[in-house]
Amino acid sequence: MIKIKDLKAQIETDDGEKEILKGISLDIPDGEVHAIMGPNGAGKSTLSYVLAGREDYEVTNGSFELDGEDLLEMDPEERAAAGLFLAFQYPVEIPGVNMSTFLKTSINAVRKTRGEDELDALGMLKLIKTKCKELGISDDMMKRAVNVGFSGGEKKRNEVLQMAMLEPKFAVLDETDSGLDIDALKIVADGVNAMRGEGRSFLVITHYQRLLDYIKPDVVHVLADGKIVKTGGPELALELEEKGYADFIGEAA
Amino acid sequence: MSIAALKIDNLPTPKEETWKYTNLPRAIPADLKEAAGEEIVIHKNSGEVCEQIEDILFTAVDGQRTAPVLKITLERGAQMTLIERQQGEGAYWKNMRTEITLAEGAILNHIRISDDSMQAVNTNMVSVSVERDSVYNGFSLNIGGKLTRHEIDAVMNGQNAEVHFNGVNLLNGTQHGDTTILVKHMAPHCNSNQFYRNLIDESAKCVFQGKVYVDQIAQKTDGYQLSNTLLLSEKAEMDTKPELEIYADDVKCSHGSTCGQLDEEPLFYLRQRGIPESEARLLLVQAFVDEVVDKIVNEDIKEQILQRTNAWLMAALKK
Repeated sequence: MIKIKDLKAQIETDDGEKEILKGISLDIPDGEVHAIMGPNGAGKSTLSYVLAGREDYEVTNGSFELDGEDLLEMDPEERAAAGLFLAFQYPVEIPGVNMSTFLKTSINAVRKTRGEDELDALGMLKLIKTKCKELGISDDMMKRAVNVGFSGGEKKRNEVLQMAMLEPKFAVLDETDSGLDIDALKIVADGVNAMRGEGRSFLVITHYQRLLDYIKPDVVHVLADGKIVKTGGPELALELEEKGYADFIGEAA
Repeated sequence: MSIAALKIDNLPTPKEETWKYTNLPRAIPADLKEAAGEEIVIHKNSGEVCEQIEDILFTAVDGQRTAPVLKITLERGAQMTLIERQQGEGAYWKNMRTEITLAEGAILNHIRISDDSMQAVNTNMVSVSVERDSVYNGFSLNIGGKLTRHEIDAVMNGQNAEVHFNGVNLLNGTQHGDTTILVKHMAPHCNSNQFYRNLIDESAKCVFQGKVYVDQIAQKTDGYQLSNTLLLSEKAEMDTKPELEIYADDVKCSHGSTCGQLDEEPLFYLRQRGIPESEARLLLVQAFVDEVVDKIVNEDIKEQILQRTNAWLMAALKK
């Protein structure tokens, strides 16, 4: 169960502090997929960064709990171990760090913090192979540096691969559809859908309705100017696709 | 002005030198006693391909002033791999001269580990001369010494030759490490690379001056130069001066230089994947250094160097 309550966050700018999240409250029960839609500049990406603990943002109010545990006090790595995963809109390229080293370090760091045994080289190799096969990722990708020279589709598939390996309780997908053609989108959506189920919730952040054709949400929220201005069922996404965000921008202002 | 020609009581001040960054008179102790410097001469005959790695050591003790000489000549088609280790104890000044001559088609892999005592001064004037189809593949790890100055003058005399100057500077305390490289393209179709990565900690200071000179005759030159620096403390200093001087009109030359701190983006990405901050930082600085070390062809030597660089990085990040 995810409980976000009256979350406010600001960022330091040249003209002083600027509030971007202006009191967000959101409950996501176990196993549910919620979507957040909204116009540019509404605070969608900020929300994902704040949840993941990026230090550029200062949280000034509110709480964020995962199964009763307060995540706001934790470092990003502790949140990851507690079960939070962020699929980045722009996965970061890390020259010189190869995929298999990265995955090994990540998985074992998380396992260690969760009090599980670290995987040995063979166990790790097996896990990587299985997950890669499920997602149609070639072994060749494991020898390359993290995200370096990956196509848009490869980068997003790589995010889903990491999610599948880390088995989070709560996954935030930040504009996972951006930069994807329809085939890549299907593969990524299949990967996400395969992980849906008991004990895991998703927050899918998107600008367009298209992604929600493939990852069907239980609830849709509209975020505008740092606040959730409307909540509804999947039909809300279709309505937005048709009418745009104009009504909501007015409402928020 | 060549240091090799100088007497200890007659050192140029930074003001007098064309080189502005090193204060030699201040760094070199006044009461050093002259000691005989070794002269190591390596000569490989035409077609001699050495499987065995040559491992040589230059050393000095407290209070010495020595002028060692290293001469390497590879005749036509000869090949060898050389590890040159610079070590010593106490305060001394090693004023070295290195002459490397590669005849047609010769290949030299030259790994220099500058690991002098932390009170020592090491100045090294290097001349490299390469003929047609030959390859000089140099790697320099600069980790020791109070003050080191590595001045390389390379001349490419024949077509289709290659020179690579790769290096890593790991400096802390009040260390001062200079590298100056001048590559002269005097023949067409040659390829030169300069690739340095520097990590500067505490109050250390690093200098990188690289220049590619392309003569009018040297068409189709491929010249590349890059220096990247990570500053690990607020007092660390880096001075870079990348230069290109080109007189031919059909060449491909580039130079670049960056200096800064570890990027926040990759750090956050790694931490979001559960990797603790200290471990993530180590992973990133290792990757930064490994990209240069990776240019070493021999796997055993690469492994040796990585052990050394990793130990330094771990100690630096532990503070």
